[in-house]
Order: sequence, then C-alpha cells, then structure tokens
Amino acid sequence: MPWYLYLALKQLFPSGKWLSFFTAISILGVALGVATLVVTNSVMGGFGYEIRRMIIDTQGDVQIRARSLIEDSGPLLSSVAKVPGVVGVTPFAEGVGMLEYGRKPAFPLIQGVDVNRVNDVIPLSRFIRVGSLDELDDDTVILSSQLAYSLGVHIGGKVTISSPLLIERLKNDEVFLPRELVVVGIFEIGHQQLDSNTVLVTLRRMQDLYGLGEAIHGVNVKIADGLDADAMAARINAVLPEASDMRAHSWINANSEFLFVLQMEKNLVSILLLFIILVASFSIMSSLLTTVVRKTREIGLLGALGGRSREIAACFCVQGFLIGLIGTGTGLALGFGFLHLRNDILLLFTRLTGSQEALERFYQFSNVPAHMESADLVMIVVGTIVISTLAGIFPAWRASRLNPVEALRNE
Amino acid sequence: MSDAVARNVLGGSAMSNFILKACDLHKTYLSGERRLEVLHGVSLSVSDGESVSIRGESGSGKSTLLHLLAGLDVPDSGTVHWEGVPDTGARQRARFLGMVFQSFYLIPELDAVGNVLMAARVAGKVGAIERQRAQDLLARVGLSERGHHLPSQLSGGERQRVAVARALMNAPRLILADEPTGNLDEKTGDSIIDLLLGLCSEQRIALVLVTHNAVHAARTARMLFMRDGVLQNTNL
Repeated sequence: MPWYLYLALKQLFPSGKWLSFFTAISILGVALGVATLVVTNSVMGGFGYEIRRMIIDTQGDVQIRARSLIEDSGPLLSSVAKVPGVVGVTPFAEGVGMLEYGRKPAFPLIQGVDVNRVNDVIPLSRFIRVGSLDELDDDTVILSSQLAYSLGVHIGGKVTISSPLLIERLKNDEVFLPRELVVVGIFEIGHQQLDSNTVLVTLRRMQDLYGLGEAIHGVNVKIADGLDADAMAARINAVLPEASDMRAHSWINANSEFLFVLQMEKNLVSILLLFIILVASFSIMSSLLTTVVRKTREIGLLGALGGRSREIAACFCVQGFLIGLIGTGTGLALGFGFLHLRNDILLLFTRLTGSQEALERFYQFSNVPAHMESADLVMIVVGTIVISTLAGIFPAWRASRLNPVEALRNE
Repeated sequence: MSDAVARNVLGGSAMSNFILKACDLHKTYLSGERRLEVLHGVSLSVSDGESVSIRGESGSGKSTLLHLLAGLDVPDSGTVHWEGVPDTGARQRARFLGMVFQSFYLIPELDAVGNVLMAARVAGKVGAIERQRAQDLLARVGLSERGHHLPSQLSGGERQRVAVARALMNAPRLILADEPTGNLDEKTGDSIIDLLLGLCSEQRIALVLVTHNAVHAARTARMLFMRDGVLQNTNL
C-alpha cells in the first residue's frame, strides 16, 4: 500500500481508536446529506411511481377514446388485439351515478367492466379485499373499500344505483327505476380518491344504467412488458378506422402535464437537497484545512523522509475520497433503514400530531410509497463521492505547496 | 570568514571517500526589505562513517546549512553532492539520509513501530524484512516493549529514541541531527547522544550533529563552529 494511502487511513482511523473526532463529524455530515437525499428522492419517486402504477393499473398502458360513443365495439376490439405487442384489450363505460344504502346516498364514479376481459388489462382481482370478481354479474356490484365503510354496507348488502338517465326519462314522462344490486366484493387499490368513491359493475349493467345500448366509452389496452407505450399508441392508431374520431393515447401522453409536474417537483427537491452535500463538503474542506495547519510540521517531516509533494497532496485527497465513500455508505444505510421503517415512523408522527386523516386526504395514499430509480441512486453515490474528493483537493494543494523547511520551522 | 578557512573545512578530514560534499554554499533570506545573507560560502565534506558536530549561536545558520545538506532547501549558489552525485531529490533522500529533529516529529496517529516503519514506507518498501528491522531497531534503542505505544504514551526521551530508530530504518549513509537533545533533560540527552554515536559507529553511518552542547560536540570525530554564516574548524 502506498504510504500516502496508509497515512490517510491512519489519520482517519488512528491506532487504538475507531476513528478520529474530525473523521466522525465529517462522515456524519456526508451521511446525513446522503440519507436525506435517499429518503426524499425515494419518497418523491415513490409518489410518482405509485401514481404511474395506479394509472396503468386502472387504465391500462394505452386507452382508446372517442369524442362520441363507440358503437359496435366488436371489430375494434379484434383489430386492436391483433396489433403486435398488445396482450389484452377490454372495453369500458363509465359515469357518475347515485348510490343509496340504508337511506345514505353517495355519488360514486361507476365503472362498467367486461368481466371476461378486464383481468387481461387491469389486475382487478389483485385489488379485491373481500368477496370475488367472479361473483360480479348484472345484478351485483363491487364497492371501493372506503365507500363501503362510509355507507356501512357489507357483502350481501343491497344497494340501489340510478344514473342521470333517470332525469332524462322523467322529461319524457317515463320512469327509470333505480337498479337494486347485491354487494359481492370490496376492493382497495391504495389510492385514496379511487378507494373512497368508485363502484364496479358489469359493462352490460353500465350500458343499461346510461342507456348506451351496445355502445362503450372506450377501450383499455395492455401492452407487453418493456414496450414503449407511446410507440404502441401510434401502432394502435394506425389500425383505427380512419373515418372515426377515435384516438389511442398512451398513459404517458394522456397524463403528460401531470407527469411533467411530478418529475419537475422531484428534480427541484433533489437540487435543493444537493446543497446539504455541498455544505458537508465545505465541512470536509474546512476540517482538512485545519488538519493541514495542525500537521504542518508532520508534512515537513514527510518531505524530510523523502515524500514527494504530489504524494503529500494525494494523502489529503484520499482522505476526502474516503470520507465521501464511508459517508455515502453510512448515509445509504441510514436512508434505506429509515425508508424501511417509514410507515411506522409516519404512524407515530400522525398519532402524535393527530394528522392521519388529513394526510390520507391530501396525499391519496394510505402508506408512504418509496421508489428509487437506479439512475438516481448512482447519481447520489457518484455525486457525493466526487464532491467529497473535490473538497479534499484544496487542502491537498495547500499541503503540497508547503515548503518542508518552513513547515519544520512552524511553531 | 575567509575562503581559506572554508577550504580548510572542506578538506578538514584526513579520510577520503566523501559521502557528503557541499561546496561554497550561499543562502540569503528576505527579512522585510532587507536581504540577510545567512551562509557565506560554506563548504563541508563528510567521509563515510565520520561524525561531525556543528556548534554555533542561535541564528548563526546551523539549521539552514543542515536543510541545504538535506536537500530540503536550495542554495542561492554552491552545490551539494551525495555520494558524489548532485541528486538531492526526495526519492534519493529517502534512501540516503536519515534525520533527527529537536522536536522528534513523530506522527501521533502511529505507534512506535508504525513511526519507525514510516521511513521504509516512504522509501517504497514494507515487507517482513522491514518489519523485523523496525522491531530490531526499537530493541536496539531500548524500546522493544513499547512498540505498540503511541507517541502520546511515550516520554520525551523515548520519543527521541523512536525518532533515532526511524532515522536508521532505511540503513542510510548519513544522519543529520538537528539539536536532538534540545528538548531533553541532561541525562536523557546524554543517553540519546550515546545511542546516536554508538549506532552510527556500529553501522558505519556518517553523522552531522548540530548541537549547542559542547560536551556532546566533543564526542564527535570532528568539531566545527558556525559563526555569522561561516563554518570554522575548531580542531585546528
């Protein structure tokens, strides 16, 4: 091992001690910066990831919609299903309705799904907490968890659903009776808005409620893993009838502004938090400069022993690098440890502050999501180590510029 | 001092085979607006295994001369040759020279063995042989049981013994000692000088000893005196 590396290690971790006070403080500074970056980046990334996952899980990768109703969906479904890369298609109809149970009303979003096809695109079965999707037919309904909870309805309970068609029929002196449906399931997606106000019925029941006949509102499409959603949307558009006003949009395109805001928010927070690392690097620089001053005579001695200026510089540069390396490792452990316990910590915090409901209402998620892109992790690790090493360069330069004679005379 | 004296000093030794040869060294320092000439054409030759002492008043230029001889500083004019070669660079210094200072200059984070081995590390080689030599040297200076003590756990005399062992680590041809007893009590100082002279004689290493102590100086083979930047041979 070169002497400058050996001495750098010994100055950071002296014989008979775990580490020096200066090392501990410098490592802690870097570690806290890295941990904060990891936690913030993961949580911000987690919110974005959950939102993206939820969009895909509830809409598919690509969605075909038209400004008018889509009549005769059969040929459309078969032509889209034949597009290479498409692994599932399912039609849907949706709208707001009035749901009543035990004289308690609610105005949920009603989703009409094709029970035979929906699982090819949307993993609904995965979200069913009580009951079964197999039980869903034209006389049954599945409610979202918080809606069921707020209405106090259980499996087997009977709810009545009516739609705006009721008013339209009344204008013509016709009566459209609300449909009585049996609750056969309760689902929970993990998104507060969807979980609090959504109802699933069969497509036929939705067509009946809205008087659509055989028409649908759109088609959700699932594509094979790894394919680009935008490219697939373009391929699907190519097979849509030219005369129709139907368009396929990828989930990215359909939510582009929202996704841009999410990414921008995450980037801005990362840039702001990068200042923590910069502050830590100044702390490293300041500590190493102090060390250079404190060890001036030792630097002179190293010259007298035959050490070259560049080796003396390397000794201090290596210290900056090692502090960055160990600080980053410690910060990653702290950060991922915190993320592992994030829900327990949040629970404790919300209990202490009584803010659990507000949190769920505003942030839509019952648990704190966390997701770290590997590129972000690499950027944090490499960026921190580079900044820490750079922080060691100025003290190293100062040390290498010391004249051994003046250094030895230093009092 | 005249050039004649300087020449006299240069040829002061009866021995040939100079391992250190300094010719006509001049050195000036700026002090504010004034230029202070610290060395006025100093010449000095030291033969293999010879011990030379340099005494002089504070500020007479002893330490400046020692730094020039060690290649740590550059003369305004004049030359320094080690073993007949004008190379006094860092790599050559690690192999050729050992230095002992008044303030010991041990590295506080390293134990005694580590400090002794540091000289070998800087010279570029630390293996089993060097480790054994470091242990042997510590035993030779009477610190075989204190090898794993940090400098802060050693007395002043013990620290200087470690510094002597470090100076000997790379089996140098020359040791430059700059007031090695200056921070020690008389008894400890005497023992350090005994050790330095004994080891240098035993291992045939030349020694240039800068000291204020006339008794210590008298124990070297040749005594020189520095006055106002000029080296005088007190044996004459």
